[in-house]
Amino acid sequence: MNKLAEDWFEFKGWKPYPFQRNTWKAIDKGFSGLLNAPTGCGKTYAVWFGIIQDYMKRRLSSKKKAAGLHCLWITPLRALSKEIFNAATVVSEDLELPYRIGLRTGDTSASERAGQKKNAPQALITTPESIHILLAGKGYADFFKNLEFVVVDEWHELMGSKRGVLVELALSVLKYLNPQLKIWGISATIGNLDEAEEILLGTQHPKATLIRASVPKKILIETILPDTLDKFPWAGHLGIKLADKILPIIEQSQSTLIFTNTRSQAEIWYQHLLHIQPDLAGVIALHHGSLGEELRQWVEQALHDGILKAVVCTSSLDLGVDFRPVDTVIQIGSAKGVARFLQRAGRSGHYPGATSKIYFLPTHSLEILEGTALRYAAFNDMIESRIPYIRSFDVLIQFMVTLAVSDGFNADILFEQVQTTHCFASITRDEFNECLLLITQGGKMLEAYDEFHKVVLENGLYKVISKKVAMRHRLSIGAIVSDAMMQVKYLGGKYLGSIEEWFISRLKPDDNFWFAGRNLELVMVKDMAAIVRNSKKKKGIVPSWMGGRLPLSSYLTDAIRHKLNEAREQVPDREMTFLQPLFEEQSRRSYLPEENELLIEKIETKEGFHVFMYPFEGKFVHEGMAAIIAYRLGRIQPFSFSIAMNDYGFELLSDQEIPVDEVIAQQLFSLENLSEDIAGSINTTEMARRKFRDIAGIAGLVFQGYPGKQVKAKHLQANSGLFFNVFRDYEKDNLLLRQAYEEVYDFQLEIVRMRRAFERISGHKIVIRHPKQLTPFAFPIFAEVFREKFSNESLEDRMNKIKAQLTKG
Amino acid sequence: MQISLAGTTIELLPQRAIFLPETAVLILGDLHLGKAMHFRKAGIFMPPQSAYKDYETLHLLIQKHQPQHVYFLGDLFHSHHNSEWNQLTAFIGEHPQTMFTLIKGNHDILKAELYRQHNINVIEKALIIDNLIFSHEPLKTLPEGMINVAGHIHPGCVIRSGGRQSLRLPCFYFKDNLLLLPAFGHLTGLQILDRSDAEVFVVFPDKVMVL
Repeated sequence: MNKLAEDWFEFKGWKPYPFQRNTWKAIDKGFSGLLNAPTGCGKTYAVWFGIIQDYMKRRLSSKKKAAGLHCLWITPLRALSKEIFNAATVVSEDLELPYRIGLRTGDTSASERAGQKKNAPQALITTPESIHILLAGKGYADFFKNLEFVVVDEWHELMGSKRGVLVELALSVLKYLNPQLKIWGISATIGNLDEAEEILLGTQHPKATLIRASVPKKILIETILPDTLDKFPWAGHLGIKLADKILPIIEQSQSTLIFTNTRSQAEIWYQHLLHIQPDLAGVIALHHGSLGEELRQWVEQALHDGILKAVVCTSSLDLGVDFRPVDTVIQIGSAKGVARFLQRAGRSGHYPGATSKIYFLPTHSLEILEGTALRYAAFNDMIESRIPYIRSFDVLIQFMVTLAVSDGFNADILFEQVQTTHCFASITRDEFNECLLLITQGGKMLEAYDEFHKVVLENGLYKVISKKVAMRHRLSIGAIVSDAMMQVKYLGGKYLGSIEEWFISRLKPDDNFWFAGRNLELVMVKDMAAIVRNSKKKKGIVPSWMGGRLPLSSYLTDAIRHKLNEAREQVPDREMTFLQPLFEEQSRRSYLPEENELLIEKIETKEGFHVFMYPFEGKFVHEGMAAIIAYRLGRIQPFSFSIAMNDYGFELLSDQEIPVDEVIAQQLFSLENLSEDIAGSINTTEMARRKFRDIAGIAGLVFQGYPGKQVKAKHLQANSGLFFNVFRDYEKDNLLLRQAYEEVYDFQLEIVRMRRAFERISGHKIVIRHPKQLTPFAFPIFAEVFREKFSNESLEDRMNKIKAQLTKG
Repeated sequence: MQISLAGTTIELLPQRAIFLPETAVLILGDLHLGKAMHFRKAGIFMPPQSAYKDYETLHLLIQKHQPQHVYFLGDLFHSHHNSEWNQLTAFIGEHPQTMFTLIKGNHDILKAELYRQHNINVIEKALIIDNLIFSHEPLKTLPEGMINVAGHIHPGCVIRSGGRQSLRLPCFYFKDNLLLLPAFGHLTGLQILDRSDAEVFVVFPDKVMVL
């Protein structure tokens, strides 16, 4: 029994849930574990009271005062860190406990950090990056020597990213310092909870437990439908046509979160809502990751206080923090996954027993299908797994330098430590040594007159001795890679947020653009900041930020294929009934495939020869599949293709006729030599080059600095594409280059999923049609702006074509 | 391909350089030699072998055109002194029949004295041949009747062809009495320029063509 907790809950007038009591008990017995609980039902207190009870027990039993850091609490978001800090501080104050809590994030001032190091609080709430910065400081072993607990909040979110690898590596060091360290993870429901626990705690942890909070929650999903189907576009990403449909929803709700998938979409929706309903001024706000901390905190506080009717946001409000007044959620466009959709739904209705209500607003006709598919998937508990990163040598290299910057490391000990992590369980000593060679001599070969300098070996310890190298490294710690950012500030100095430098570089003074929900005019660019003032103009461009192009999850595509099959059988359902005319149009122009058929459409336009294929397997699988099909076609004759894809299918476009018939199509989807053809196709596309961008950033090839804290790295600027080229030309077997290809397999192609797709389709009947016009299925793909290139024509041939074209013109 | 600029004949070479046959002058900009080692000194693993290719190209170019004088139009050596400097000075020594002159660029921060010691003349600002003014960065003002030839920008263009195909290639770029040379060094990027009102000469591996 946890006396502190029971007392405090009684004082608050609350009753603990069974999962909270179970967690207290498990911590009391010295267990580590994973707690699976939805947000908003007291998961923080479930773990927190276990920890403070442990501390109080230690204090009573030990004669000398238990000093130093006792608990590290890691969260993925600064906003969440703040929230946990507040919650924990209240407990210490209410119960007058000698348990001090500190907060350490990118926003913490230098003096506060120094204070924490000199006189450590009992608990520190922080982020994965901040821990690595602590590990880059001298004497970290002393700072962490009394550490008993590490809690990783929202572990499901961290696990699927390289930030999860940062956590794994930090834990390997902390476990080495204290083999008795207790580790607790908190995770929302994902498909692979057991794996999540094993990755966090380590395999065969002697005292591990998985606690599931069975707090039932009802979710209502409703699709917002246009008045008529024929006026609704076949393609698009904005959904703005349906904006007037959400005004009554906002009106009737206490407070509504409107989720968009990209930051530009959020900016556009925010403006548009204000435009069609000016009364919303003052009660509607905008929240996304590029806005300044101050603006975001204001919005978060206003949400808490219940003074906002609506907030247009991105994944920046996906996680953690609860906003009690929020009772309605609207998702604009595809949420791409069942888990993400349900997580967002769960941002409303936090009271025990309350119902979460979420509206789905489609951005084009075919997307309406997703509303019903989501309901089907949610009903059948089709919750996705998070795939952890493995063998992320870029993060390992960064981590090695981090340790070298502080007290230095011994290679044998570090090798043992990293082997205990899930990420590097399969690392060989050769691979580890290759990392060491990279940081000490800049590559495998020792060259004459080489002046490479980063890490040196001194008395058995790998160390950084150059102050410049150390400083640059401290500024580059982290696993989130973004483009060079530029601060956006008013003339008076007020900071609004940050925008990619390339966007600002295209603007001239007096040009205006929308940002932070305001129409701004660029005054000048000064010291890496764009200085702006408010503009009265009506029009302006909206920055488009890169990233955020997630594919549909496999569960969601399964559900969509299932629903599509029902379309043929005309199973009654609100969305399906509404979409019936679209399916009829598809049949009329081309064909509506059955579940065991693959439809291929060949269309000729003035752009060239198009082949559309519709496997319904999600964008990434389509990208890989298109590359393989292109590669296989390229064996018939040399081709250059422009490839477009969406979550439903893909298109190959060429300037020459593409010879696809039923027989050839069977061969194109054959399982024979699939592995070889996958490898071949990766080499002829840009996929690995794109993956290399993050790797180059994390491994320290491309120095980024922090937005706003950019240190001038004079004459050290080169982009990752240049590095990719020189590695490919001069150091083909470079570990980081190999990693880029491995990541293409695991994350881009989702190789397991793609193999399954090939297996499925190889048994399908191929149906080829030659429509005169684009079909409802084809149009959204045709309209995709982002295109992959494939060519096995020699550069010479391609250039000759262009030369011929130039000569003609 | 050959063009005439303010009365001077200029050959635009696919090796990303220009040759003036009347004066036997070879001009090339933005070599950025020493860049790989500069990165390596700062702990960034740029493969050291990546430096060799540019020397080879330049050597072949000199053999073919037999220039009396080679002008580097700025950004010859990337930043501070490093061991790759020896490679450059050895290269200069291997071509005793040719005169070498650097027209200084923003990355050329070594002392002029050092260049001169190794038989590279240094011009601080600009060189004039006939009615052409050669400078690293484009000049802000230009005397009447003169044309400016500059580097610094690393100009490139995107060419589109059928089936939504496109290629990014370096180019010579002429607009408003300014001819921009493509960067000679291969460890450089491309800056895609707006083609409106400009004459663009695309650089293919074997040939330069007007767009």
